[in-house]
Amino acid sequence: MSIISALSQTRDKVKDVKFFVPFASASLAFVAGAIILGSAGVDVGNAYAIMFRGAFGSVFGFGDVLLKTTSLILVGLAVSVAFRCRQWNIGAEGQLYMGALGGAIVGISLIGAVPGIAILAVIVVSFIFGSLFALVPAVLKVKFGVNEVISTVLLNFVAFLFIAYLLHGPIKAPGFNPYSPEIFDESQMPIIFPGTRLHAGIIIAGLATVGVYYLWKSKIGFEIRSVGANIKAARYAGMNVGRSVLITLGISGGLAGIAGGLLVSGVQHVLIEGISPGYGFVAVIIALLGRQHPIGVAIVAFFFSVLMTGSETMYRSLGIPGAFSMTLQALVLVFVLVGQLFVIWLSRRNGRGVR
Amino acid sequence: MKGITIRFGEVVANNNVTFELRKGEVHALLGENGAGKTTLMSVLYGLYQPQAGEIIVKGQKTSIKSPNDAMELGVAMVHQHFLLTVPHSVTENIIVGLKSNGFFLNLSSAERKITQLSEKYGLKLDPKATVGDLAVGEQQRVEIIKALYRDADILILDEPTSMLTPQEEKALFSTLQSMVNQGLSIIFITHKLHEVMEASNRVTVLRGGKVVGTVNTSETNETELAKMMVGRPVVESIQTKGPAKKPTVLQLKKVSALNNSNIMFLKDLSLELREGEILGIAGVDGNGQAELAEVIAGLRKVQSGEIVMGNRPITNIPPRKIREWGLAYVPQDRLDTGLILEYSIAENLILDRWYTGEYSGKVFLRRDEMKKFAQKVVSDFEVKTPGIDVPVNSLSGGNLQKVLMARELARNPKVLVVHNPTRGLDIGATEYIHKQLVKQRENGVGVLMISLDLDEILTVCDRIAVIYEGKIKAVMDRKDADVEYIGLLMGGKAVLSSEGAS
Repeated sequence: MSIISALSQTRDKVKDVKFFVPFASASLAFVAGAIILGSAGVDVGNAYAIMFRGAFGSVFGFGDVLLKTTSLILVGLAVSVAFRCRQWNIGAEGQLYMGALGGAIVGISLIGAVPGIAILAVIVVSFIFGSLFALVPAVLKVKFGVNEVISTVLLNFVAFLFIAYLLHGPIKAPGFNPYSPEIFDESQMPIIFPGTRLHAGIIIAGLATVGVYYLWKSKIGFEIRSVGANIKAARYAGMNVGRSVLITLGISGGLAGIAGGLLVSGVQHVLIEGISPGYGFVAVIIALLGRQHPIGVAIVAFFFSVLMTGSETMYRSLGIPGAFSMTLQALVLVFVLVGQLFVIWLSRRNGRGVR
Repeated sequence: MKGITIRFGEVVANNNVTFELRKGEVHALLGENGAGKTTLMSVLYGLYQPQAGEIIVKGQKTSIKSPNDAMELGVAMVHQHFLLTVPHSVTENIIVGLKSNGFFLNLSSAERKITQLSEKYGLKLDPKATVGDLAVGEQQRVEIIKALYRDADILILDEPTSMLTPQEEKALFSTLQSMVNQGLSIIFITHKLHEVMEASNRVTVLRGGKVVGTVNTSETNETELAKMMVGRPVVESIQTKGPAKKPTVLQLKKVSALNNSNIMFLKDLSLELREGEILGIAGVDGNGQAELAEVIAGLRKVQSGEIVMGNRPITNIPPRKIREWGLAYVPQDRLDTGLILEYSIAENLILDRWYTGEYSGKVFLRRDEMKKFAQKVVSDFEVKTPGIDVPVNSLSGGNLQKVLMARELARNPKVLVVHNPTRGLDIGATEYIHKQLVKQRENGVGVLMISLDLDEILTVCDRIAVIYEGKIKAVMDRKDADVEYIGLLMGGKAVLSSEGAS
């Protein structure tokens, strides 16, 4: 019994630290960011104050924070679902673009439909587009053992170039810019807070978060988690590994696809080449920092959205380039990951020999 | 080593342990798993720092902070699992990491020194051979020469015989003798009594982190040592029934299969398992045991031949079907295949039946039912755990194996395949697992026990088959079994008799 009590005690201690470390790490990232800003001759206090005000200082600004959060939650969930199955889907950006294409096609072809139905069609079709696009690397992996990291990364470029081709030719609207025609009103997500750009898509992001939470409590979720945790054990226990990979990447791509569909239906109302500022790539960081837990992903997504929105204000007011925002994101990632290593080191040191 | 005490959290792994090694002796360190043998030696090898006590090497009080310090004092350790790079040559493996290596390796002078050493101590070895091509016994020689090459004169061997054939074991023991005759000193960690008797001059017994005593080997016997080791008399062997002719529950007919490197590893293997018997598969590791277990479980493709369970053919049928038809399988790798370490006991228990109505509804898992199952297993199998919700990686090896066995036995199987079921377990847990296997046999289950531990096979099995290079060399009743003969068969030496495989 003494072993057991010793064990639970060290675990409790580690738990306390575990909770505290990520926040300390993130704070340190801001300190490191301050050093960079300071060495460039910027008044650091003022810069961070402006960043904070950009995100929380106005209704419009905060609306934008939640707007970005919507996209980031969806792509973050997409990547984290795949990660739970040990499928390194780095192609969420491409899947987002294909989803945007799907949403745009519905939006510019569905006229006269009941608005609710049209919006539902946008979501379903953008899910399917993203999903099918993610199934390409999934099938390659299951049938031929192609490493999904490489295939998903490369398929991003296929998606970008395919959409560029469409926007310069087949679906280009009349005029100078390579835009698609504007989608009809029926397919546009309603703004839910006047005076902001925040649309009803955030409800969908919330539903997706809850959905993923319950996914892990479901039968298929158990199979997916098992395959991710230990593929040998899963196969030994009679689980269908190939099917799990297909379903996982299908869901993953679909969630990223919805993020794309919402950008067309709720924000731009047209399909353009640079419709996402790299949400699908930030998603990888969000999934890592959120530890692939839906609630964690939602929290980190909000935090990153604050960072991105605040940085935009910093750029507009002080001319601090957007690259600083990315630097800060990277710093947060590095510091939090090192913090996690610290926690692991701590629990190993405490737990050593007890097992 | 005087008064060594080391604690991990509140667990005392070594409690005021004093251990003395004389020059020119083989000193056995005997104890059950978890008795603190390896911990004590890790202190000597600089892997752990003790909270109390001192280490005196060759009359000098020293502190050993790392394996490098140990090496400098002439202390070297040969681990149970070899630390060799398989694609490299013997010489390359031996000289790796030496400070005297220049930018270019001087392989030929190293080879000369290795040849000298191997002749001096009777350790036959080709310095140019690739380590991956060597047998386990030869790989062990590489590790020993690696230590000698670094001028070690105190050698720690951690369970050196666990992977060897009886013949290789004999060769190792004679090597040990020639090494001590030339002035080396050897510490020999083991939990096997006959090895202590055969190979050592003195023996120190540890139990629960404390020294029970140090005795001269010539003045003791196995029974006395066993008592010292476990603190109670050991049950000698388990009762077996006479081999009544019962119906066959599992039959392999000329089965061939590839190993992971796509080499034909099972070659026309035939085997028959009867209802209500324990059939042991003896053999040296790497002769097709894992492949055999996996073809039966449907985890490895059968290239030719046929497998029949009951009256159903199960050749190349999905694993889930085979399990549903009555197979239970305890793989050798409980940490890596049998269980998912970050899962709770409850989740591990339903790993193969999560889809059944018993533990899940249409969409979701039934947490309450899972918990009930887990609680029942914990109390029925006496699993020691901080709780049913903690990840199983906090459980000890014996308790992990109990969870795994519990899951497999809960299927009410017709055929039970177990592979190295007690490897790494202490005597208490081993006995428990053996009793469970015997109970299954009493219930009419056909048990196929694949094990590297010949003692174990001789203890629990009704019939014994010997596997060598993917073929069954011979099958015999236990009462007819002769250890020497089995040992020869395991080494592939015996001429195949005409009745051969059944």
